[in-house]
Amino acid sequence: MSVGDLVFTLLAISALLSTMATVLAVLAKDLLKAIVFSALQSVAYTLMYFLLMAPDIVLVYAAVAVGIYPLTLVLLIKKVGRYE
Amino acid sequence: MNSVIKALAFTSVLILAIVALAYATSSGGLGVLPPESLRPLAITYLRTVYNPENPKFTAMAPEAVTAILWDYRGLDTLFETVVFYGAIIAVLTLYRETYRERDILPLKGLSIVVKRATAVTSLAILSVAVATALHGHLTPGGGFQAGAIAAVAPLVMLIVFSKRFLSDRLSHVQLLTMRNLGLLGLGLTAIALAIVGFAIGEKAFIFQNQAKEMSKLSFPQRILGVPAGGTLLFFNIFEALAVAAGFTLVFMVLLSSEELSRKEIVGEEHGY
Amino acid sequence: MKNMVIEIPKTMYMITIVALYVNIAVALYAILAKPNLVKKIIALTILGDTVNTFAILAGYKVWRPGLVLQPPVLTELDDVSREVIEEFVSRSVDPLPQALVLTAIVINLAVTLFLIVLALYMYRHFGTVDMDRIGRMKRGVISEEVG
Repeated sequence: MSVGDLVFTLLAISALLSTMATVLAVLAKDLLKAIVFSALQSVAYTLMYFLLMAPDIVLVYAAVAVGIYPLTLVLLIKKVGRYE
Repeated sequence: MNSVIKALAFTSVLILAIVALAYATSSGGLGVLPPESLRPLAITYLRTVYNPENPKFTAMAPEAVTAILWDYRGLDTLFETVVFYGAIIAVLTLYRETYRERDILPLKGLSIVVKRATAVTSLAILSVAVATALHGHLTPGGGFQAGAIAAVAPLVMLIVFSKRFLSDRLSHVQLLTMRNLGLLGLGLTAIALAIVGFAIGEKAFIFQNQAKEMSKLSFPQRILGVPAGGTLLFFNIFEALAVAAGFTLVFMVLLSSEELSRKEIVGEEHGY
Repeated sequence: MKNMVIEIPKTMYMITIVALYVNIAVALYAILAKPNLVKKIIALTILGDTVNTFAILAGYKVWRPGLVLQPPVLTELDDVSREVIEEFVSRSVDPLPQALVLTAIVINLAVTLFLIVLALYMYRHFGTVDMDRIGRMKRGVISEEVG
């Protein structure tokens, strides 16, 4: 198995992981769980961006989707209500 | 019963859409995937991004993505900064009565262990952001990256320490001034060579980085032996400053206390 | 055996694309069918990020034995001749989708932050974040004012 096959296999595995995390995030009734699953999906996407040789995007996406979005949404659900 | 039929209809339409799109993509709808060779436009950009033998088109910066963002397609990035600015203005307008007020509740924050750990890591985050902004024209990095990384530090400090801690030390006027300084720097860098040309008597373009055919003015190509990147370095620094200050303003608005905002909204009856 | 060895990258690529399409479909369903405003915002961010990933997927290059890929950053700064640049062009990945996706991420971030602040404003005005109940309230007020 050459390096190219390994890269594409890792791409497919992280895409499937992100799909599972998305489905779990949509089905969760506790909004805190939904936020954590969406952060997990963002981590899978960061791995995909790294495998696709886009280092600028990894820097922005790791700070934005794993840092800013979950923290701001947690602040929001503290004020608005944690359960659906 | 009605909702079950609706859910079934939704699901079947979505599954049909996925199958159709997957079939279209796999038989060549988006082009041959994965692509066998680069597209001609990408070949042109990569060939001229750091090419001392081609002074007509080169940008003299070894990082292709930053050069495309701020040199080849600088106007796109200018308007995207305007969109970001508009969103922050919208947020501040919604809370225009309350975001200047001094908060009445004394807020405590979390325990002392978390506070000491956060103090150390916030300094580390800010130094990483400064480093990323400064080397954006040589290796992967740049203005937005540094601004987004630098926006995590005040957010964590707002949660761990209290909001009073930050708003007593860094008032909203100071943050607005930092943001406006960043935007002013962006605008001035864009027309810097035009101003110099006007003063000397030469012609120059707006957003000009290196010397072109019709105008001889150019930013320095090397500083202390390292490629300087021309306008890219200044654009990165000012953009990081503007983005980080804007984010901090939005987070402070989001955390104002409930008592303060209830005072303003209780009189509005007919908002529908 | 040789045929199957060439087919592995293409199969894995198709699996990735189908998984991303399923992501888009699930996020669209959540935006349309779930009544809570915070869940709609979460699904909107997932939708935007998946479309950005598609753009970067289309800028990759297929691996061939003997070919080495590199991100679009030139690493040789002092002695830049024609051969160095031609080798860089033959190895590098497309830089244009990455620049466009950077702009798209920042714009999505600005709009989502505004939506979050707007959701907080709506909670303070209506008392709830459930769009079904807000719709019923508005219908009640409108029928009150008309009839």
